[in-house]
Amino acid sequence: MRDGSDGGRLRLWALLAALVLVAGIAAGCGGDDDDEDGGEATPTTETGAEATGEPLRIGIFSNNEGAFAPFEGQTWGGAMLPLIERGATPVSGDPTDGVENAVIAGRPIEILYGGSDSTPDSAVEEARRLVEQENVDILLGPLSGSEGIAVANYSKEQPSVTFVNGISGAQDTTLKVRSENFFRFHSDGTQWTAGLGDYAYNELGWRNVVTIGDDYDFPYSQVAGFVAEFCAIGGNVSARLWPALGEEDYSSFITQIPQDVDGFFMGVGGTGTVAFVNQYGQLRGNLADQIMGGIFMTDPVILEELGDQVVGVVTAGMTAGDSQEPAYLEYADGLGEAYPDLAGTASSVFAYGYYTAMEAIAQALEQVEGDLSDDHAAFREALANLELDAPLGTITLDENRQAIMDNFLQQIVEDQTGDGVPDVQTIKTIPEVDQTFAGFFSPETPSPDRTNPACEEAEPPPWTVQGGGG
Amino acid sequence: MTRPALVVERALWWIPGLAIVLVLLLAPLLFTDFYLSAVITKALWLGLAAASLIFLAGYAGMISLGQVALYGIAGFTMANLAAADGGSPIAWNPWLAALAGILVATGVGLFFGAIASRSYGIYFLMITLAFAVLAFLFFGQVTQLSGFGGVNNVDRPDIVSNPVTDPANLFYIALGTAAAVYLLIRYLERTPFGLALQGVRDDPSRMHALGYNVPLLRMLAFGLGAFVAALAGVLSVWWNTRISPGSIDLPRTLDVLIIAVIGGLYRLEGAWVGAIVFAVLDNWTRGIDVVGGRFNTVIGVIFLAIVLLSPGGLMGIWQSITDFVGRRFAGAASPRPRPAGERAHPS
Amino acid sequence: MSGETAVAGHPAWRTRLAAVPPRTLAVRVLIALVLAFVAAWVGYKAAGNPRTFVVVGLNGLTLAGLYFVVASGFTLIFGLMRVVNMAHGSLYMLAGFFALELQGRLSDGGGSGFGSSSTVGDWVLPLVVACLGVAVIGLVMQQVFLRWNQGQDLRQALITIAISIIIADQTLAHFPGVAEDIAAPDVFPDSVAIGVYGLTYPFFRIFVLLVAIAVGLALWAMIKRTRFGMIVRAGVDDRQMVSALGINIQLVFAGAFLLGAFLAGLGGVLGGTMISVNKGNDTTYLLFSLIVVIIGGMGSLAGAAIGALALGLVDAFGDVYLPTGYTNYSVLLIFALLVLVLAVRPLGLFGRPA
Repeated sequence: MRDGSDGGRLRLWALLAALVLVAGIAAGCGGDDDDEDGGEATPTTETGAEATGEPLRIGIFSNNEGAFAPFEGQTWGGAMLPLIERGATPVSGDPTDGVENAVIAGRPIEILYGGSDSTPDSAVEEARRLVEQENVDILLGPLSGSEGIAVANYSKEQPSVTFVNGISGAQDTTLKVRSENFFRFHSDGTQWTAGLGDYAYNELGWRNVVTIGDDYDFPYSQVAGFVAEFCAIGGNVSARLWPALGEEDYSSFITQIPQDVDGFFMGVGGTGTVAFVNQYGQLRGNLADQIMGGIFMTDPVILEELGDQVVGVVTAGMTAGDSQEPAYLEYADGLGEAYPDLAGTASSVFAYGYYTAMEAIAQALEQVEGDLSDDHAAFREALANLELDAPLGTITLDENRQAIMDNFLQQIVEDQTGDGVPDVQTIKTIPEVDQTFAGFFSPETPSPDRTNPACEEAEPPPWTVQGGGG
Repeated sequence: MTRPALVVERALWWIPGLAIVLVLLLAPLLFTDFYLSAVITKALWLGLAAASLIFLAGYAGMISLGQVALYGIAGFTMANLAAADGGSPIAWNPWLAALAGILVATGVGLFFGAIASRSYGIYFLMITLAFAVLAFLFFGQVTQLSGFGGVNNVDRPDIVSNPVTDPANLFYIALGTAAAVYLLIRYLERTPFGLALQGVRDDPSRMHALGYNVPLLRMLAFGLGAFVAALAGVLSVWWNTRISPGSIDLPRTLDVLIIAVIGGLYRLEGAWVGAIVFAVLDNWTRGIDVVGGRFNTVIGVIFLAIVLLSPGGLMGIWQSITDFVGRRFAGAASPRPRPAGERAHPS
Repeated sequence: MSGETAVAGHPAWRTRLAAVPPRTLAVRVLIALVLAFVAAWVGYKAAGNPRTFVVVGLNGLTLAGLYFVVASGFTLIFGLMRVVNMAHGSLYMLAGFFALELQGRLSDGGGSGFGSSSTVGDWVLPLVVACLGVAVIGLVMQQVFLRWNQGQDLRQALITIAISIIIADQTLAHFPGVAEDIAAPDVFPDSVAIGVYGLTYPFFRIFVLLVAIAVGLALWAMIKRTRFGMIVRAGVDDRQMVSALGINIQLVFAGAFLLGAFLAGLGGVLGGTMISVNKGNDTTYLLFSLIVVIIGGMGSLAGAAIGALALGLVDAFGDVYLPTGYTNYSVLLIFALLVLVLAVRPLGLFGRPA
């Protein structure tokens, strides 16, 4: 029985000392970090000269772990910008530190920090903490596709809180779940592919393609959009490959792409894009004229890693990095000024999606003068009917509270700005793409998955040549 | 001379124990709904999963990393058989689905126990780890059963109520289950099966020589551990209302190991002590942003400190304190015998 | 055994067959049938498209090479010291990040990727520094945390788990970027002709396979031919005896841990160049190492080679050759492989009781 001996006691004291030390370090670092999350101690409550009334609590959560953690900064930068445009000042160069003196419609804004890891469980757990423990009035998030479906479901149990989606792009989130208090002010993964099938069929002359995408809800939605459009006008999709999210060795999947296909659509996202493109280049070469990309290829951070090898690739998405519209330039410059680290990332969907979400919240709050006292009824009415003047065009919502907005068909071109990163050129703008994708999808159609939707000819969407839109 | 010491020592176990039981019984009155649900109820089912590990480690000498995979198997089976969004379209009565989940997980546990029971110690740990990760990958890839997004809105029996808006019912169910499992394992400790198991833990070859079927005993123990883990799985799905591969990934697998080690690998109570500490710390570090929100670093350092300095975990530390106080009361230099019925640490 | 020694009327094979217990025999027949079926299936599929077969085979072999480099370090440490280093994957990952960071500073930005390759120095220097850095971290880990509790294998495993959790979280905090790959030296061609069906194949993957073979041979020669190897072999068999002979076993342990961690680092840089450097690498490669050594047998170099081959080939072929619609279930094949090996040989193919 050594436990009662001196050795045991010594160990005990050593352990207690170690625990005290840990607590000390923890407290010390917490102090150094000076309130990274802009959490409880966010000073907005004490200041704000013109601010009156109770502070409004807005919870924001993105991914601080998992495959999409690298994009946390962009999401937070996007979310903070509307507040900064309204007079708030960033606490530091790290957007997750939050802002000071945020005021909307005369009400001080308190930002609560949250983070999940791209799994639905962690997203709901974090949403619950922010809603039920931190008592936020409005929740902005999440980031990833499967998370969005779970959080939208959860929102039904919290009718007194208003949820605005961050950038999670699964179709089901709004089309199937249809929660009364869940709003999405950006287009979903399916809408983002509008125009690609048409370009592949009519411009590139592709007839037979293969799709490849990560094996979860968001890429399902992307591939669904491409398949629906490409097959509607007569194309054939001969195989759909689904490597697991987080897969890094794509060699076996690339090997499976038959030599005789005309090209393929790539919906591999997040961390896998760079690995996939490099491995494809090594195994098959000549990548640029065989591939169509999802939104990740034109993400500024990923494009920098990809470099010249993707010049020529055509992609589509809800942002247009080459836009010269004053509103867009103002947005892009504002982001770079507020957060120098984020300069050049304005066209990232992560920044833009969280930006439009926060901007929508702000504009709706201004319409109701910051008054949520009627159980958010007027505020939600304002959100639902908002004509959001976003930097890249107007955004409106459909009856499922899902954005209807323009989509941009783009080509990656050689660097012209001299920053060493290839540039993006908009080929075509497809106006006001809605979630049903011109009637393909409805709450009754099967959810996009590995095999749905089926590849069959149908009424061509209006933006295709066959649909009269050429 | 030892008598007052014994009384004090026992009091040091009984008083905090009773206080904790009292606080738990009254928890719905003492805590907010959120805290009751997101911290305490969560700790109860996490503790149940950890208890299945402590049962295997403490009584059978099998440190298993497969317990989370087993509770996942129970959870996924139930979620697929009950009405839900995603998974299979079958919609059984939620009780029947839960029962089926427990049976399937126990069956898988027995099957897996049959394979792994011939491996000991560190081999066993590694094999169960490989099993756990493969179970995670399996549910991620088989979209008919789950896929990455998992199964949402799993139907639950009416008595479970809504775990968000009305958490008290599920809390009491979890508390009752935890208590029942605790009593069951403490009872088993004295049965011939339990005694044989402890014999296997201490010296498998001798037990074999005595005529015991050692692999069978270990397989049965693993099956029983799977049963307890399956209860945790059912409760976790009721609590979460959903399950996805992310619920049983490697970090979650390690979480249960961490809980068991922090609480104390060789005392059953340690499971829930560790779980409470874990859940409170998790909630706390998210809220006030300790070391830049790095909960995993904090919990990792605590875990490391415990393993390095007190392999008996927090229960072991409490043991040392009671021993120390007891000796002070005894006033005698000579160590006195341990109270009957208290097991020695096999460290 | 030759035919002459056989009992009259019973050819040698029948005598030997009779000596095998019926249950083992049944299991062996079953395994043979399964293997024959798999071979027939792959052959049937391959006949239709031999080009794919060659490329997938090379994918599997090159992956196996990478797995072997990583797992050999893992099995070396275990074989000698009975330490299961659950932070082995973390060392792999750290080496990748170290090399990436250093290469980024040397070549001063410009991004990695296909378009930009590095000079030889910009690849070799990070490789060496990262491997040595990780080797030192491994050594410190062993000296500070593991040396004083030798023999308590479970406790040591728990300690390394704790370290791996801390490393994973700190890596996330300090390397926030997206997954990248380490740029290969520019003297390496992107791909080379392999001389069959006019196919080309990525050169670096072949390079990894060659490195793996070299590492295997070097380890084998070291264990068979050098004094260090002799002590390691003796230590695997009987540690007490070795220390009783006056050999400084602690020094040998430290050397073995250094070497094992170095191999994890080497794997990390090779894998980071061949595939990519990412935050999840630690658990992925720990799992691969575990599966490799569980199949091959803990502590056996030959076992690591066989295990790595099995894992790499099953992984690559499973992704492609499972029936249409089931290619996503290749993980089940790995699981089946594991179950099969454990059912027949609980200590792995080349494992010996401790």
